[in-house]
Amino acid sequence: MNVTCSDRDRIFEDGTTGEWAALEVHAASCPVCKEEVRAWKSLSVAAKELRDYSESPSFWPRIERALAEEATKKAQRAGLRRWFSFLPEISLGWQTALAGALVLILTVSGGWILHRQRFVEPNPDDQSLLKSKALKEVESAETAYERAIDKLAAEAKPQLDNPATPLLANYHEKLLVLDSAIADLRAQAGLNPSNAQLRYQLLAMYQEKQRTLEEVLEARQR
Amino acid sequence: MGTMGLALPWKARISSVPRERGTRVEPSEHFVGGPNLAAEDAQSEDAALAAACRSGDLRAYERLYEIHGARMKNLARNLLGNPVDAEDAVQETFLKVHRSIAGFRGQSSFVTWTYRILINTCYDARRSRLRKKEVANEDSEESPGFEPRAPGAHPTLRMALERALAKLTQHQRDVFLLYEVEGFRHAEIAGMLEMTETASKNTLFQAKKSLRQMLEPPRGSAAEAR
Repeated sequence: MNVTCSDRDRIFEDGTTGEWAALEVHAASCPVCKEEVRAWKSLSVAAKELRDYSESPSFWPRIERALAEEATKKAQRAGLRRWFSFLPEISLGWQTALAGALVLILTVSGGWILHRQRFVEPNPDDQSLLKSKALKEVESAETAYERAIDKLAAEAKPQLDNPATPLLANYHEKLLVLDSAIADLRAQAGLNPSNAQLRYQLLAMYQEKQRTLEEVLEARQR
Repeated sequence: MGTMGLALPWKARISSVPRERGTRVEPSEHFVGGPNLAAEDAQSEDAALAAACRSGDLRAYERLYEIHGARMKNLARNLLGNPVDAEDAVQETFLKVHRSIAGFRGQSSFVTWTYRILINTCYDARRSRLRKKEVANEDSEESPGFEPRAPGAHPTLRMALERALAKLTQHQRDVFLLYEVEGFRHAEIAGMLEMTETASKNTLFQAKKSLRQMLEPPRGSAAEAR
């Protein structure tokens, strides 16, 4: 195989073994190519100066520790993933898309529910509305009781202001105690109108006062 | 580093001695006899090592380190300029391999894939270092600052070469280091740097031409006359 100076760069770049041998033969009689081949080879020799394969005994243990820690983390992640193993194995892209779709569905559903609650007609079967309705009924019953009791109290007032018998004096004292208890319970019910227990107690007090006033009036007739 | 001393299925097929190409001078791409057998052997070794690593066996990673650790560290040191950053990059590479091995589909060789991760890790480390330098308002010189290493036969030549390498383009420097220093073939370099084999050869040619211009003293008139 014959090569010339013009083949030199091509052989440097991608020459076969045979072409290199031919270049060496040519360089023996061509000073320019001889110098070029020498310089080219000297770069490869000089490159070996950048080799330092010295051992560092502590390096592998360091990597091993890091790998062991990584393996532990991986195992923990795998354990967490098992909780979601019922989900089909899908790519991360699809998982992201599904998560996005889920968030969108939840947002739209939440918005729709809020919108409906704001504008929908009150439902008579709704427990919360019944509760406030019951409260109104209780309050109106209390008002009726108060009116009835006020009428009885007005009728019994002469006997109670000047009790003729010890029995009437006792009734008077009982009514004073009941009035005080009623005032106290009404104050508490004002602070917490939905407390059913307070309402029952107040109702019981009204009933007791009504019964007592009726007994005072009966005692007068006797 | 301790020896494994365990009968791993792939142990017998993988040489524990790193490939030595210390005497390689051009041309090096042409096998002398039995290229197919050598290539098949290398492929099966590579696949066995990949499978062992995929199974999560830390001994397989130790084997990878035994075969390629020194070369990986040397490459990282030449890319980053100091042994501390080089060790960090190699460790990070092992962790990345461990994390991503499940996704390795064998489209390239396992070793090529590992070196590609190492090179990318070194690029990331360099970028991160440059950013830190910029933030600290320090000298943002792009070339890596080389630290003194184990004394070689020609420390002056080595330093001159390191300075000249720093002036090459990134690809030229990478190809030169992988081919001339680490002894990889162009086919392997092409896989690592995601370029064609021809591009790798051409890049090496350009790199050596540039290095020669930078390192060789200007030829005298006597040489011209010859």
